[in-house]
Order: sequence, then structure tokens, then C-alpha cells
Amino acid sequence: MDKAKIRVLIAKPGLDGHDRGAKVIARALRDSGMEVIYTGLRQSPEDIVEAAIQEDVHFIGLSILSGAHTHIFPKVIELLKEHKAEDIKIIAGGIIPDQEIPKWKKIGIDAIFGPGTSTIDIIDYINRSVK
Amino acid sequence: MKTNELISKLKQSDVRAVARLLTLIENEDKNVETVLKNIWHLTGKSYIIGITGPPGAGKSTIVDLLAKMALENNFKTGILAVDPTSPFSGGAVLGDRLRMNSAQKAGIFIRSVASRGHLGGLASTTRFMINGLEMLGNDITLVETVGAGQGDVEIVKVADTTIVVEVPGLGDEVQAQKAGILEIGDILVVNKGDRPGSDRLAKELKMMLSLGEHKKWTPPIITTTATKDLGIDELWNQIMNHREHLENEEINQTRLGKIKYDLENQLSQHLYTRKLIQIGENEIENMAERIFNRDIDPFTAIEEIIKQ
Repeated sequence: MDKAKIRVLIAKPGLDGHDRGAKVIARALRDSGMEVIYTGLRQSPEDIVEAAIQEDVHFIGLSILSGAHTHIFPKVIELLKEHKAEDIKIIAGGIIPDQEIPKWKKIGIDAIFGPGTSTIDIIDYINRSVK
Repeated sequence: MKTNELISKLKQSDVRAVARLLTLIENEDKNVETVLKNIWHLTGKSYIIGITGPPGAGKSTIVDLLAKMALENNFKTGILAVDPTSPFSGGAVLGDRLRMNSAQKAGIFIRSVASRGHLGGLASTTRFMINGLEMLGNDITLVETVGAGQGDVEIVKVADTTIVVEVPGLGDEVQAQKAGILEIGDILVVNKGDRPGSDRLAKELKMMLSLGEHKKWTPPIITTTATKDLGIDELWNQIMNHREHLENEEINQTRLGKIKYDLENQLSQHLYTRKLIQIGENEIENMAERIFNRDIDPFTAIEEIIKQ
């Protein structure tokens, strides 16, 4: 009896406290039948990667609005490599300048969803990637 | 990860392997039996502390502080935290980690578990998940239940020490007289001790216990204010007292009883699945229809199914 579920860790790294976006995503993924591990504010890259491994998630979702992504993205990617956990994919949302997106995708961010993205698109994307 | 590789990595207490095993267990994956058969002799070595109580009582915060306390006392600890699955979408938001910052910073393995439709306060696979977690070599496993109602008492079948967390303001003293969750506590905690009514609640609980039959272990009542880290050291001491009490008395007997209970459940599940494969799901539906139409009564129906 296979009862596999898609598991996603939603984290809010950096120092800004605007977690409404992260909460909206968490709720939308839940309502689509996924299991969402919500870790809350001010998570360090180390915290996030450790939690993702313990929780054995398919995806890490990072919500960053402060500009700290320039530091956090490379760090999370590096830590996943260090733990041989590159199979865990990273998606991101928040304020990420459009012109940077190709660069981040190149180094290992799977997808970036900016403001105004429909939650349905995000759910579809995750469902398609896991299958 | 292939099954053989997984088994050998589990024997080295590899964190990713343990995390993967927990996933296989909760997915009821077809390979999980093979894995558990190979590691069963290495499990069963942790002392299991269950924490239950109504939603918002402060269970996660208390688990976090207990994990820290365990670490300070040189016990290696793992945490399973169960949250409810939505009955509509099958999804879940698992938020217990939010309150477990110090455990996380200390590197303690925390796994958030969705109940996946199982009632009683745990997931149906929680027992095996505890065994899976034990592959990390932990001395203590902390198991937090779903925010529990009066009937969610399954934790008592799993934990060595069960802690029931209550908070003031939820009802009068008659609530304390009712059967259910309050009866299962080896230790009763009145959390949010800085709130009005906490003294009264502690007194009412004490009164309730004094009316009951006298047992070898009288559950202590401890007032805590978890957000200020007050009363947790006393709670820890009482857990250790209870452990000592069990070890002097009947711990193996109780554990044996729990394994017997599990075995009975698994056996009935297996027998049912086998029968279902043998007779087919349609037969169950036919029979249900006949019972519904009053062509047959449920007792004769079962006899007929068993004979098939």
C-alpha cells in the first residue's frame, strides 16, 4: 500500500519578518494535499538544510524579501551538496530581481516564483517535478 | 537508495538513511518490511516519553525544553512531533518545529509527522517510526501527539512515561472527573502557570487524583510556565522518578503488554488484508448491501465471509 505524499519545507531565512507570503504558500500546498513543514522566521541556511534532511522533503521553499538571497541561495546549495542531498530541490519566492533569475537557476535554484504568481502554478510545478 | 544500502547505512546511524526509513514507514512502502526485519534486533533501546494535551497547551515548547534538559544530562534524544492531516485535502501544515528552536540548534533530530487520517492522537505508523528513529542510537525518544481531545489516549500504548499537559480556563472541575486523557497521565502538567486559574486547576487535578483508587505510582502535578522555562527541571526530575519506579517495578511487563497489543492489531490488519485479497472488495460491497437491505444480519454476514 503506497501512501507517498509530497513533503515541502517552507522556510523564511534572513531577518525580515514578512511571513505572510510563506504562510499563504504553506496553506495552499496543504490544501492541495501536500505535507508542509513550516519552520518560521529567521532560519539560518544550516537550520534549513538540517531540517530538510531530517524531514526528508522533496522541496525546500525559501521566501526572502530582504535581498539576503544573494548570500542565502549559494549557502543553502553548498550545504545540500556537502550533505550529499542535492536531490532535494529548491524553489524560491519573494523579492528576487528578474535579471538575476537565470543566474540563480544556473547554480541550482530549481524555480523562482515572484509576486503575483498564482498558487496553482506553484502546485502544478511541484506536482510535475516530483512525478 | 537501494534497500541493502539503506540497511547498511542505518546500521551506521546515518542521518539521511534514518530520515528515508521514516518516510518509507509512513508511506507504508512495500520495502519497509524487509528493512525492519533486518534492523529489528537493534531497536527498542530508547526510553519513550509521550507528551499529550489539548491544542495550544504548550506541548511543543515543553518538548523543546525537555530535549534540551535531556541533552544537558547526556542523553541522546530524538523527537517525533505529530500534527493532524486535513480530512478534506489529505495535506497538512506541520508547525511543531516552530517551537523547537533550541532542540534544533542543539542538532537534535526532529521529525514532523502527519497523522494521515489516523485517530487517537498519533499516526498509525508512529510505533515503527519510533523504532526507525532509534537507529540513531538515541537514549530518549520524545513523542508529541496531535492536539488531543478527551478520547485521544493512544499515546499510553506507546510511551513509557506519558505526560498530560493541561492549561487553565478550559472547563470546570467536572471536566477533571471525566474518563479519558487525564487518566492516562503518569505526570500531569499545568502549563501557563502565569495565567489566572492555574492554581485552581492544579488543586482540582489533585482532588481528582485523591478520589481515585490508590496505585503504586501517584501522578505528580507540576505547574510550569514553558515560555519562561519555569518548572521544567522539576518535570524532568519527575520523569526520571517515574522511570526509576518503572524499572523497579514492571517496565518489562508493561513493554511486553504494549508489544502484544501491537501484535494483535497488526495481525488483525494482516488477516483482513489477506481475506480481502482472497474474496475481493466486491464481496464486501455486496455483503454491505445485503445488510443494508436487511437480507442478512451483520453477524451471519461475517460468518459467511469467514467460511468462504
